[in-house]
Amino acid sequence: MKCIIPGTNIKVFGKAIHSLSKIGEELYLEPLEHGLALRTVNAARSAYGCFIFAPEFFYHYDDSSGGTEGEMEDVEETFKCKIQMKSVLAVFRSLSTLERTVDRCKITLDEGPRLVFQLYCKHSITKTYNLTFQECETLQAVFSKDLCPNAITAQAKLLTEVVQNFQLSLEEITLIVSPEKVILKNYVESEPDPSKVLHTQMSLAAEEFDYFQIGVDTELTFCLKELRAILAFAEAAGMPLSLHFETSGKPIVFSLEGDPAFDANFVMATLADLGSTQGSQSSQQQAINRPGTSMAGTSKTKRTVKKTQQQGSKRNESDIMENRRFQANRQPNRSCAGGNSFLPMDSGFDDMMNDGMDDVIAMGANEMEAAMSQETEQQRNGTSRHEASPERSASPEIPLELGKRPRTHYPDEKPTSHDQSHDDVSMVMEEEGEEEEVLVPGTPPSKRFRSMFFGISSQSQATQAPAETADTAEVLCEDTDDED
Amino acid sequence: MSLSTQQGDDEDNNILVAKVDNARNISNILKAIHFRDTATVFASSNGLKVTVEESKCVQANAFIQAGVFQEYAIRQDSATFKVNLTVLLECLTIFGSSSAPGMNTALKMCYAGYGSPLQLLLEEGGVLTDCSIKTMEPDEMLDFGFSSANVENKVIMKSECLREAWSELDMTSDVLQILMSPDKPYFRLSTFGYAGSIHADYPKDSDMVESFQCEQTQTNRYKLSLLKPSVKALSLSCKISIRTDHRGFLSLQYMVRNEDGQVSFVEYYCCPDEDVEE
Repeated sequence: MKCIIPGTNIKVFGKAIHSLSKIGEELYLEPLEHGLALRTVNAARSAYGCFIFAPEFFYHYDDSSGGTEGEMEDVEETFKCKIQMKSVLAVFRSLSTLERTVDRCKITLDEGPRLVFQLYCKHSITKTYNLTFQECETLQAVFSKDLCPNAITAQAKLLTEVVQNFQLSLEEITLIVSPEKVILKNYVESEPDPSKVLHTQMSLAAEEFDYFQIGVDTELTFCLKELRAILAFAEAAGMPLSLHFETSGKPIVFSLEGDPAFDANFVMATLADLGSTQGSQSSQQQAINRPGTSMAGTSKTKRTVKKTQQQGSKRNESDIMENRRFQANRQPNRSCAGGNSFLPMDSGFDDMMNDGMDDVIAMGANEMEAAMSQETEQQRNGTSRHEASPERSASPEIPLELGKRPRTHYPDEKPTSHDQSHDDVSMVMEEEGEEEEVLVPGTPPSKRFRSMFFGISSQSQATQAPAETADTAEVLCEDTDDED
Repeated sequence: MSLSTQQGDDEDNNILVAKVDNARNISNILKAIHFRDTATVFASSNGLKVTVEESKCVQANAFIQAGVFQEYAIRQDSATFKVNLTVLLECLTIFGSSSAPGMNTALKMCYAGYGSPLQLLLEEGGVLTDCSIKTMEPDEMLDFGFSSANVENKVIMKSECLREAWSELDMTSDVLQILMSPDKPYFRLSTFGYAGSIHADYPKDSDMVESFQCEQTQTNRYKLSLLKPSVKALSLSCKISIRTDHRGFLSLQYMVRNEDGQVSFVEYYCCPDEDVEE
């Protein structure tokens, strides 16, 4: 793989990395035919960011895909790796200096094995960064912007000004839309004494937006911190930002498509509808901070299984994620901290289309996990980093299945209302209603769901073991290990 | 601090009296070597030499020539004393560190010999401050034995190109490796940290390099924690000279221009890390 970025584009590239660094700890790099993909996901798997830089962005772009004359080394797959954000930030630390002094940046893969970033600066000075990386599987969130009934496009400046009105410490923000206007307010989780909490609310009329189409009135809550990171990039790039969303519980997609040379998409989980899951939700949040909290208690479970379509594009398959609505149980890390960690993601997208960046997706705590699980699954490089490993122990998540996993990986699966329409997906969700009694704050929730992260499970069975509680009354899917 | 109330205007007792119109000319240079609390001051007819040492491995010297002072008088051949550099800097910048052009702090420094405190009289805008800093028995200074005759490799370059690289050195690396060679890459700074290795190459034909004299390829490693403080001197200076001798000892010399255009020098000596690769 070899890419050369011209000096004029280095700042954008660096800014993209800065904004991804505010979301996740690791940067996933994958050179694809249609561009270089930089992706990340946060530890709680509730926020995902992806930048794809088209070949036009570079002076020279060579992804060494099998198919070019003579390049037969990576016949089966392209090079995919992940590097620590800290390492790559060291390369692009001071953007203003980069802009001033760097003529071009070359990214190559060295036998080392090292990912080499070379900055050719003014005065013939060269800076070389030989970074260690880990091979991994593709990180891919599947989502479909086209299917969202609600779409808004706004100038980044407008949204930045709006967001500035909220306290810096605010974790989550609520967006309420109707065909005439949009209201943004700070999210207050449980209702303490209303007079003690600062409420901020802003209304924007439909006319303020470049594009405003609301199909479904909705109210959704998502993490503000990641939004700030997205807006920082959008404003610096001077591009309009599009929001695609449906209802609470389903992910919201922010995309930047104004520039022909690159695309950016950010998918964020939203808090599930408070109405039906109110009770469980608050207690759930207590449990959330603890490793291994299960996500019990989603009142409506919806199992939708998605299958990614192979489109010849090298990236999708592994990451089909299943959509389901369930409460998060990841240890909140970067996203909405403080206890409300995970936002259940519900996705109603049954469609799977991959065209370009639109993939069907379900994102949720577990989904990304499954994607991540692919890494170990393949055992390419061995060290899979489990950022959100804690919950492996007791996680009831049902991970998503992806693409080509042989059925045999799910030996004891006992799906209840499982949409078996796609063979390669295995997912199970529990029936709601039963959870409620389990959610006692401070105690591990009942283990209804066993983690089915194979790749991960093969490595983390040990960690999973201790967390299994005795409450296995309704195990729908058994672990692949034999703890019980 | 001694509570002497002697104003220091008593010329008979002072063996050293130095006056300068802008105390920043002194304080800025001293900040460049301020990585330990104490410093040794060596006053001679040439001016002041202030030395700071660390771990018996690194030594920094600041030379403030007599010409920098508006008035400089010393009675003896030389005087040496140790003083708390942190306190000295705080006194010199007692009126604040903002560099508003109109307001300069005038300084008068007096020393009455062995055992006496170092007296400072500072004035800005009609406000006077009188400081008396206790002096201590000077320690023996290291002699690195660095002589020009033994210099093998020498590079002189403009500080600005090194500044950013130096300030962003990967601190997870234990060492800073300096390679100087008559062949490519000519001059290379390397670190080996958690993220991987990072190299900064400065070719001899770069317009930032003013002079390049290398007899043979030398690669030496120095403890990064010891050299990192030199970034302060680097940011103040306009030119830097990097020399290594046959033992691998490193000499960094910085040319500093003060606000009035006068030139002073700061110098860092560092001994190489144990396992030297040659």
